[in-house]
Amino acid sequence: MADFQTSTQRAKWIFTPQKLAERYKASNHRAVQLLEKCGTTQVEVDASGSLTYPIEKADAGGDQGDKKLKPLSVDEERFMRAFYEAKVQEVCSAFEFPHKIQATALQYFKRFYLQWSVMQHHPKEIMLTCVYAACKIEENHVSAEEIGKGIKQDHHVILKYEMAVLQSLEFDLIVYAPYRAIEGFVNNMEEFLQAREDEIQKLESLLKAATAEADKVMLTDAPLLFPPGQLALAALRLANGVLGVVDFDRYLENIVSQPNSEHTTSEFIKLLDDIENLVKNYKYPSEKDMKHINRKLKSCLGHSSSHDESKKREKRSKHKSHRSSSDTPKGAPIS
Amino acid sequence: MEQPKKVADRYLKQEILGQGTYGVVFKATDTKTGETVAIKKIRLGKHKEGVNITALREIKMLKELKHPHIILLIDAFPHKENLHLVFEFMETDLEGVIRDSNVFLSPADIKSYLLMTLKGLAYCHEKWVLHRDMKPNNLLIGPDGQLKLADFGLARIFGTPDRKFTHQVFARWYRAPELLFGAKQYGAAVDVWAAGCVFAELLLRRPFLQGNSDIDQLSKIFAAFGTPNADQWPDVKNLPDYVEYQFVPAPSLRSLFPSVSEDALDLLSKMFTYDPKARISVKQALEHRYFTSAPSPTDPAKLPKPLRKQDSKASHGKHEGTKVVSPPHKIRRVMPERGKADSIKSHVDKDQQAPMSLDFTVLAERPPNRPTITSADRSHLKRKLDLDF
Repeated sequence: MADFQTSTQRAKWIFTPQKLAERYKASNHRAVQLLEKCGTTQVEVDASGSLTYPIEKADAGGDQGDKKLKPLSVDEERFMRAFYEAKVQEVCSAFEFPHKIQATALQYFKRFYLQWSVMQHHPKEIMLTCVYAACKIEENHVSAEEIGKGIKQDHHVILKYEMAVLQSLEFDLIVYAPYRAIEGFVNNMEEFLQAREDEIQKLESLLKAATAEADKVMLTDAPLLFPPGQLALAALRLANGVLGVVDFDRYLENIVSQPNSEHTTSEFIKLLDDIENLVKNYKYPSEKDMKHINRKLKSCLGHSSSHDESKKREKRSKHKSHRSSSDTPKGAPIS
Repeated sequence: MEQPKKVADRYLKQEILGQGTYGVVFKATDTKTGETVAIKKIRLGKHKEGVNITALREIKMLKELKHPHIILLIDAFPHKENLHLVFEFMETDLEGVIRDSNVFLSPADIKSYLLMTLKGLAYCHEKWVLHRDMKPNNLLIGPDGQLKLADFGLARIFGTPDRKFTHQVFARWYRAPELLFGAKQYGAAVDVWAAGCVFAELLLRRPFLQGNSDIDQLSKIFAAFGTPNADQWPDVKNLPDYVEYQFVPAPSLRSLFPSVSEDALDLLSKMFTYDPKARISVKQALEHRYFTSAPSPTDPAKLPKPLRKQDSKASHGKHEGTKVVSPPHKIRRVMPERGKADSIKSHVDKDQQAPMSLDFTVLAERPPNRPTITSADRSHLKRKLDLDF
């Protein structure tokens, strides 16, 4: 599928910075409300995609004795996502999946958490499910079992969450990544430079460096804010800033002079600056941050931090006095 | 009267249209729009590999493909252990038209059907999507006569250099020779061959190349077009499953299609060109003079349709013209289940001739089977499809 212009990504999944901030705030708010009303935020999921919300508790309004549960803030949620987005890249590299799959998994993960708070669905489970779904959709099928085995995680979790994830993605499954566009631009630069042998080699190293830069861009909010072509150009400009292969401003002018260009050079430069700033301001949580956030998250999800994985599951099943909402097909709250 | 059931608070369930490999297709009314829709219900089950990959392919493609000649996917949602795909309702399909001997197809009608087929296909190829399962049964016809490509469960995105695909695609009769020789790298030309087979089927009113095995399929192709020589198809010898066949000369195409126009014959020969690189593209086919020369294609709203069950009663005379009838499981498509009402009726009026849309499972003698991708193939696909790159 090579038509971003008519894609669901362009129509539905690219936001203004304001809108994106609102979405994050809204999903955080929904979880905060759940916590206030129900004393827990965990939304249970089954393989057929039906969701079970926690039930309201009369005394959940904060009077929990001395241990009042504190929800994650919007920024803490961002850290949590950043941590697991980096994990997506780790897992994909461990399996030596192509960049495209990694990018698809990241997009899925990002889109999922526009609908949900990390307090409602644990990001580890969603991360694994996104990797699995990305492999499947990109026709690079790896069984859930293999993924689970490869990283020593229970693959049943993946199968359990698959439908809920697909549904939260509104079944818009084809996503566009900057990598193809980078290749296209580099080919185009070859013509632009009328490259000789040595320059072609330089362009090859530019391609490699830009791909690495694109990996960084994919970890920011940029994929939800900009079309893949612009992400690609930003990655190329970042890489070219180090390697100095082409006169980038002249190259941009060349692009802008094409008849189908929608932007002026200065507009373009502004867009690329914005993307670059996202990369520069990208924050990855420290170990200390994560410890703190993790503790909070666990208590919100209704597990105490001292329990190991298996006990956690046990405990969760004890908490299963949930209201069934399986008859609401669109489980994701509408924002 | 039974209270109609509402699915997902939106769709008023009506009668079952057909039973498929993965589940049921039923007719429903979309209470949001008032439109009639067809809902394909896919069982989720306890699969080791999660949500059905064929269904996911279909969803992911149709979410992006919006065109007057592509089936419209309205909604997709899980509900009670089933994945539901909601499509616009289609009345019949091209197979129903072709096999109904009451339907007379004029050259202008055939041109109209082919035009719509190629327009839908051109759009797919423009978006770098291979359909890979083109056949009359997957070309659905709406109440307004518009033809739409459906069943994207085998569709693939192409265009990535050197990407290898499985050759186990298409129902055999529509499979291009390069696929039969095991090609793993192929492109839009495979859909063109299949569309050529559909064109021929419209002209002949029976499937054109009815092989009963892959080898036999090649023999049928060679019998029609002669064994390909190196000039016609230089790369054929390099294909994985290439075997030399005994030389068969090509009969004249005219002898196979005695009554068609020169233009139609020329387009046919270009769609059936052996070398996939030299085969006409869909875009070129649409620019072929066949489409501009007289007669001009029939307005879709005026195209002849198979008689509907209700209407057919009055006109039942002798129906013996059926040449091919699909095995009953083929009634799984998004269209009315032909036969169900009829088979009931035929018990009532015993002295009447069996209506031609009768479900033949009740008879001992089975009609010739139209091959599809068999379930064995399918499971093979599930395991092997496109893993080999």
